[in-house]
Amino acid sequence: MAQSAAKLSVSIPGELAEAVRKRVGARGLSGFVARAVAHELEREGVRVLLADLGDQLGQPSKADMARARKAWPKR
Amino acid sequence: MAEALILDAKAVNALANPKVRGAQAQRAAAILQLAYQKRALVRVPAPVLAQVCRGVRHDSAVNHLLNNPGVRVVELSRTAAQQAGHMLARHKLSSAHAIDAFVVATALQFDTAVIATADPKDIRRLTASFSRIGIFAL
Repeated sequence: MAQSAAKLSVSIPGELAEAVRKRVGARGLSGFVARAVAHELEREGVRVLLADLGDQLGQPSKADMARARKAWPKR
Repeated sequence: MAEALILDAKAVNALANPKVRGAQAQRAAAILQLAYQKRALVRVPAPVLAQVCRGVRHDSAVNHLLNNPGVRVVELSRTAAQQAGHMLARHKLSSAHAIDAFVVATALQFDTAVIATADPKDIRRLTASFSRIGIFAL
């Protein structure tokens, strides 16, 4: 089932508006903004999870972070 | 497309029960932190839930994790399931490794991905030919 759409009016810096229009065109703007907002909400969720883990476990060790960086594939 | 951190069953359990899973949870937190820094998505392949869900009385910690908007479950599509089957055949693995193959097939849906797993040996066999997938051993 299609989700209902809500209209939002937002203000963003002119340069940013121009860059995004150039990238996706006027018709692709809503989809682009929706994806960006969804991604930011996800990131906020991960930030909250990390804060909770930090409270329980402390911050990740330098050694574990180094292993994590080594495991991450290069783009 | 995006980068992603893919959680297997042990990674889900570690993040859901950090106090119980001590060292594994600390390592899982490290790869999660890096995923956050890289703006990567955090995903759990749906078949993994068959390994971690053990009834309403036991699932509250897992549900709490999965209710976090930053941790999304990826449904198993026909394409991914068939791709997983092909991987098993190519590596002469039985369907006992099906969930590992679903995890790898999910990772392949992204430009680059890291799989957080406590069983790196099994996963590594399946990812050997995919340089865009990394493995982080918990």
